[in-house]
Amino acid sequence: MLEWIAFVVLGATLLTAGWKVVTSRDLVHSVLWLGLTLAATAGLFVTLHAEFLAAVQILLYTGGVVTLMIFGIMLTRRLSSVHIEHGSTSRARAFALALAALALVVFGVSEASRVGYEVGGSDAGSSGLGDTQALGSMVLRDLVLPFEVLSILLLAAMIGAIVLARKVDP
Amino acid sequence: MTLFGNPWLHGFIMGVIVLSGAMGVAAYAVWFERKFAARMQNRPGPTEVGYAGLLQPIADLLKLMQKEHLVPFSADRPLFNLAPVLVVIAPLATLAVIPFGPGWVGSDPSIGLLFALALSSLMVIPIWMAGWASNNKYALLGAMRAAAQAISYEIPLLLAALVPIILSGSFRIGDIVAAQEGGQWFALWPPGPGFLAFVLFFLTSLAESNRIPFDIPEAESELVAGVTTEYSGMIFGLIYLAEYLHTFIASALAALLFLGGWQGPGPDGIHWMMLKTVLIFATIFWIRWSWLRYRADQLMSICWKIFLPLGLVLVMASAIWVHLR
Repeated sequence: MLEWIAFVVLGATLLTAGWKVVTSRDLVHSVLWLGLTLAATAGLFVTLHAEFLAAVQILLYTGGVVTLMIFGIMLTRRLSSVHIEHGSTSRARAFALALAALALVVFGVSEASRVGYEVGGSDAGSSGLGDTQALGSMVLRDLVLPFEVLSILLLAAMIGAIVLARKVDP
Repeated sequence: MTLFGNPWLHGFIMGVIVLSGAMGVAAYAVWFERKFAARMQNRPGPTEVGYAGLLQPIADLLKLMQKEHLVPFSADRPLFNLAPVLVVIAPLATLAVIPFGPGWVGSDPSIGLLFALALSSLMVIPIWMAGWASNNKYALLGAMRAAAQAISYEIPLLLAALVPIILSGSFRIGDIVAAQEGGQWFALWPPGPGFLAFVLFFLTSLAESNRIPFDIPEAESELVAGVTTEYSGMIFGLIYLAEYLHTFIASALAALLFLGGWQGPGPDGIHWMMLKTVLIFATIFWIRWSWLRYRADQLMSICWKIFLPLGLVLVMASAIWVHLR
């Protein structure tokens, strides 16, 4: 019962905040609403007994990515104006993309429950997803190759960003 | 590990005890800091209100509450009013997972340390919000420095916190304390990485809670009062309170992770934890009143060129230690 109340409250927060991210005219407000969206997602992870994922979500997304976005705003705009207006011009395309993303998520969840993962089950903690140790050995033992490939991808992206941002030597 | 049978009752009673205790500590930390600074500068400090000025924090609080709540005309009103409230929420929520003695904890989840560090990394968003919403150039400069500093110093802070995690093999703060049983405090044992990680954690915590020598977001001699420039009355008091709470939590975490928490020579208990926390807390004030402030660019080069490589080496060293043990 309690988890149900938490789910409804967090879900409502998530949807409202997500809606405000795309409808806010002020860029700063959008970024702050995005922070709330990501925090509410972490709350949903907790109700699904994935505490590690929730903490990492807050640490990396709410604490890291939102701070980076804020930093980006501060670096690209003049310091004197508070309001940075932004808007969307291609609502139809955005709607189509959102529908496609929804279809992908629905497909993924139904496929996962078909092959046997219980979605949102209360025993997710014992099945290994909430357990930090199990998660660690899964990522660094069974899935170590894709994990390392991902890190190389991130390294390449970082080097690329440095090359793009760097002024050409005379 | 609960003092009271019912988890709801336990959570409620611990919440009341810990929160009121932390508020009291924050209020008297101000008195302590003023006295401490005064004695270092050869003057008496507050003496008038109560014995040795002991009622000064209460007088200050009453004064702050009576002051008018001003919102600048060009400020972003909702953000301006929301920011100080959010600033206090993160440290108060962190207190839920900080154990002060065996069983003296709101909740000790398996990811306790990660939760505490994640919440302390959130502090910068409302601080930045306050600076941005003020629409004042000094506040905005302070906000920008806060964002830059938080995003840089978070990485060495996490690396330093990883050392006790690797040595004890757990994210649970209770387990980390238990792993230091018998005087094997991580600051002393293993020799080398443990002590350096303690120093690194302490220094990066200073930066995360914006204390001297890393207080460039406030920098009263160059930025008026940084992000708090436009705030007045109790809403300013909230930001001030959050800063003291954050420093207190950082001291408590350092004591738990590296100094054996509530363990000590003689009987274990909450008294050891309080003693260690207060000593670290006092050291932070001591540094504040004897050190200079770094420049913003020096701050960045210290972080990226010294702290970050040091953190990586310490993590490797502790992993090798655990492997060979």
